[in-house]
Amino acid sequence: MRVSLNLIKKYIDLPKDITDKQIAYDMTLRTVEVEDVESTADKYHDIVVGKILELKNHPNADRLRICITDIGEDKPVQIVCGGTNLYEGEYVVVSKPGSEVVWHGEGEPVKVKETKMRGESSYGMICAASEVYLEDFFPSDNEYEIVDLKGVDCKPGDNIADIVEMNDTVLEIDNKSLSNRPDLWGHYGIARELSAIYNVPLKKLDTYKLDKDLPKYNVEIKEKNKCNRYIGVEIDGIYEKESPTWMKSLLSKTGQRPINAIVDITNYVMVTVGQPLHAFDKTHVNGEKIIVRNAKENEELLLLDDNSIKLTKEDLVISDEADAMALAGIRGGKKDSILPDTKGIVLEVANFSANTIRKTGKRFAEKTDSSIRYEKGIDTQRVDQGVNLALELIKEIFPDSKIVKYVDVYPNKTKNNKIEVTEEFLDTRLGKKIDRKSITQILTSLGYEVSYKDKIYDVVVPTWRSTGDISLKDDVMGDIARILSFNSFEAKPIDITIEHSINQREVSLTRRISEYLANRCGFYEIYTYPWIDEKYINAARIDTSKSLKLTTPPAPELAYLRSSLIPGMLEAISKNLRYYNNFKLFEIKQVYEKGDYRPSSEDEILPIQTNYLTGSIVGKNAKEIFYELKGIIEEMSRYNHMEDIELIQKEKPAWADKNAYLNIVKNNEIIGSLGLLSVQTMNKSKIKRTNVAIFEINMEKLTPYKSRTNTYERLPELPLVEKDLSIIVDKDIKWEDIINPIKNKVKEIEFVDEYKGNQIPEGKKSITLKLKMINEGSTMTSDEINNKMKSILKVLNKKCNATLREE
Amino acid sequence: MKEELEKIKSKGLERIKEAKDISELEEIRKEITGKKSELSDVLKHMKDLSNEDKKTVGMKVTEIKKDFSDNLDKKKEELIESMSVLEEPIDLTLPGKKVNEGSLHPITQMRNDLNDAFLSLGFEVYSEDDISSEKYAFDNLNFPKDHPARESMDTYWIEGTENKEGAERLCLRPHLTGGSVRYLMSHGAPARFVYPGGAFRNETTDARHERAFVQYEALIVDKDISFSSGMVMIQTILEKVFGKKINTRMREGFFPFTEPGYEIDMECLVCGGKGCKVCNNVGWIEVMPGGVIHPNVLKSAGLDPEEWTGFYINIGLDRLVMMRYGVDDVRLFHSADLRFLKQFK
Repeated sequence: MRVSLNLIKKYIDLPKDITDKQIAYDMTLRTVEVEDVESTADKYHDIVVGKILELKNHPNADRLRICITDIGEDKPVQIVCGGTNLYEGEYVVVSKPGSEVVWHGEGEPVKVKETKMRGESSYGMICAASEVYLEDFFPSDNEYEIVDLKGVDCKPGDNIADIVEMNDTVLEIDNKSLSNRPDLWGHYGIARELSAIYNVPLKKLDTYKLDKDLPKYNVEIKEKNKCNRYIGVEIDGIYEKESPTWMKSLLSKTGQRPINAIVDITNYVMVTVGQPLHAFDKTHVNGEKIIVRNAKENEELLLLDDNSIKLTKEDLVISDEADAMALAGIRGGKKDSILPDTKGIVLEVANFSANTIRKTGKRFAEKTDSSIRYEKGIDTQRVDQGVNLALELIKEIFPDSKIVKYVDVYPNKTKNNKIEVTEEFLDTRLGKKIDRKSITQILTSLGYEVSYKDKIYDVVVPTWRSTGDISLKDDVMGDIARILSFNSFEAKPIDITIEHSINQREVSLTRRISEYLANRCGFYEIYTYPWIDEKYINAARIDTSKSLKLTTPPAPELAYLRSSLIPGMLEAISKNLRYYNNFKLFEIKQVYEKGDYRPSSEDEILPIQTNYLTGSIVGKNAKEIFYELKGIIEEMSRYNHMEDIELIQKEKPAWADKNAYLNIVKNNEIIGSLGLLSVQTMNKSKIKRTNVAIFEINMEKLTPYKSRTNTYERLPELPLVEKDLSIIVDKDIKWEDIINPIKNKVKEIEFVDEYKGNQIPEGKKSITLKLKMINEGSTMTSDEINNKMKSILKVLNKKCNATLREE
Repeated sequence: MKEELEKIKSKGLERIKEAKDISELEEIRKEITGKKSELSDVLKHMKDLSNEDKKTVGMKVTEIKKDFSDNLDKKKEELIESMSVLEEPIDLTLPGKKVNEGSLHPITQMRNDLNDAFLSLGFEVYSEDDISSEKYAFDNLNFPKDHPARESMDTYWIEGTENKEGAERLCLRPHLTGGSVRYLMSHGAPARFVYPGGAFRNETTDARHERAFVQYEALIVDKDISFSSGMVMIQTILEKVFGKKINTRMREGFFPFTEPGYEIDMECLVCGGKGCKVCNNVGWIEVMPGGVIHPNVLKSAGLDPEEWTGFYINIGLDRLVMMRYGVDDVRLFHSADLRFLKQFK
């Protein structure tokens, strides 16, 4: 919303010496966010009135003329102009060099320079209305016509901003910050806030003395819960004409387009007191009766442009005896338009319920200045302010007009909310004692009635704040705090009572695991969206029968919510392969599936939502990345202080290669899987010329230890003996087949390497292990070592037909 | 004889002087002091000398030996001092070996920083599920029945529930605040906790708007606390993030779930409050909303608003991380783009 400080100053005397910027700042802190402070005269700098003294033809151009123009300086200047309506003695608008104009009314403003046009010098330019922001004041359909100031009281050199009364400051207020304040959608409401902020009196609005014996206009409200009040005033002697400059200027500054005097008056009233009004051409009202009723199903409202909109039974319309004339509180139709043949009007000043306007407005996805105000909830008393101001203005602008009929149908009156606020409540919650005088003064200037007795404030909330805004003592406290400014309260330290230390084991475990992966294992953490491209769901062959979908997804292919983190990971891998060949990624997020989960109350049944972890290693060598990932999972329990997990092959995940997968198992339950991506999954997710080892694990199945569990082992007094042993076994003998029979014979066995190739017979492989041995009590002799090795080889020969690999 | 000894001495010392490395020096040591050295020869031939001479020569030989030994030791020290473990000098400007790659997402890093700070103030860390219901996302939070945020233009509703109401109408949570009520329901009051998590809104995206973002909520519920206590939470956050005290201001702001509610601005770090492009010439940047928990919200958590009150702030971590590093496009956070993520070690 745009607020003119000139109009504000009609209702309050702002403190002297205060800058416009300071006003904006104080309002921002206490009331609403002022986004911009605009000096409306700025854009007219160096644009002045000129008088054409002499007109000459241009020697080199037929369409251009040379104007010797008095612009109030020492001597006349020469300006070249192509305007079609030039004449000697004409008062025109001149942009001097240095001013800024919008060429032909389009695009960004351009700086005017002293220049030559076809060989003739031109000191600036003589402007058309659209070039210098004057369309609102001097409307013209012909772009070749320049502004003719005939009839305007002015002399050469006058700044044009003064002529059109644009010397003002406009505060641009963020509409969002006004959403809960229906009282601020007019200048008078803003003035009231400023009167409270600066503790200056707010002037009363004028009242119009209406003849009480006027005949009644016929208004019938059929929907009394939707229309709280309707004042209808029939006025003769109203016709289509232009508004005075001061009104055009105010409307222009506040973002309203001047149209004609009567429409302008309704808009002026709306921006001043926040009450929307509507004027119907009286001859268009069939049967001289206004009916406020629900629309009929599929009833149509004819608009000014001869299109029509289709209505439903929910919509409230203003109708005459024949058809709907307007969509109540939202927009008018063709019938209410003021046209050249208009001779009288019926003025509507009404109050419609916020709900009705919101519902209908939503269906037409259209907000109007009127509907924005109604849907916030306006008090019914504001209708009086609207009527008074409108009739005052009509009398001033149409002195010959005459009010012929009047009616006030008033089914529901806005009631004042009444609230008890104890002094103790204010003292504690504000954290600081505010004296009674200040509290009373703040509340009174905001329009509250306050009485104080026995340490209790009895507060009567003004009607304009009683439509939903202020209903609790907390609301009253908020009003006091904000007018004092939240910043005037010192930060109070928070007391810490130490009852127990914070020990949230699951939180710590998640953090440890993410740090383990990122810092120790070299993974980058990624965030992906919960909605998943179906392409990757199909690629991972994820079953979607239990998946959830969004009603209005970001894109049609993104309707599914993830039931696994794998598809999102596939997408991330596929995208990153454009720039990198080897990388590791992980993500910890929730996955969802249909189910019955009631975390907080019995009435709320949510889908099952589980924290999962996925991670992947991308690299060419499939075997290498598989074992790297396996190692990371194997070490996870030990490094992250949680109960053991095992890796056993039980059930192939849909995305895994048939030869390389393992399940992550805890207490005989599968809680995750790891494996290489299958060729099919990689093809379908456009992962090319590389391999991926990937895992996922249900984080909620992991159990952090209460504390660290391993015990210290005494350092050996004697050195460990290390011996490498290379054996040859059948290709399909597994590592576990080898170590199980011998692991009790030595202290430790390490895998060194595996070899298949030329030097080994077909169908065989060589395995090298490192054995670590120690004797209790004495150093091992070489005989003892050799005997040990021999006995180990003998066991291996028996259990898996191993032979020693000869060097 | 005497001259001979002098010759041996000077020759020996000369050789020591010229030794180039330790092994050569050890060789020399053997040659000039060992059993086959000229000195040993001299001693071997002593039997032909008079007793008097024997004594003089013997003393002289001992003296020369000591001289040799001192010089050899000194030379050894010198040589060790000038030795290098490298055969030849290396290019010191070559880059060092890269450390292990990998990092946490910048938002996770920020979250962890904040968690640590709040943990020290005795706050618990809470988390809740992504999918919630209209009851918890809106009804409990004092959102009016026809609030625009309840529309599908703003909130992602779950297919099949969009036309239901309250607890039966499910959505991806549009903010975290609903979860705060869940925490209070299960933990009761007094309470102090932080609550990081993802939130989702149906928006048109651009460099400043995202559909998925991460919020961080901090909440205190206690008896008789004033809203100014909450300012400490704000200062904690900003000091932690920017490593110094940051000037803030609180201004009027409206949220259904607070009364009073306010917007918290911090002084623009780029211009120091003077006004610049970054802060739209205001000198202040909006960082988070906060406020006193609305009595109706406490009621829906089963707490008596006459007895309890509370303070809340909710900060957009995306925004804070953007300010911390100067990131200019919020969509990068969910892009999983390593070119971006690799910058946050």
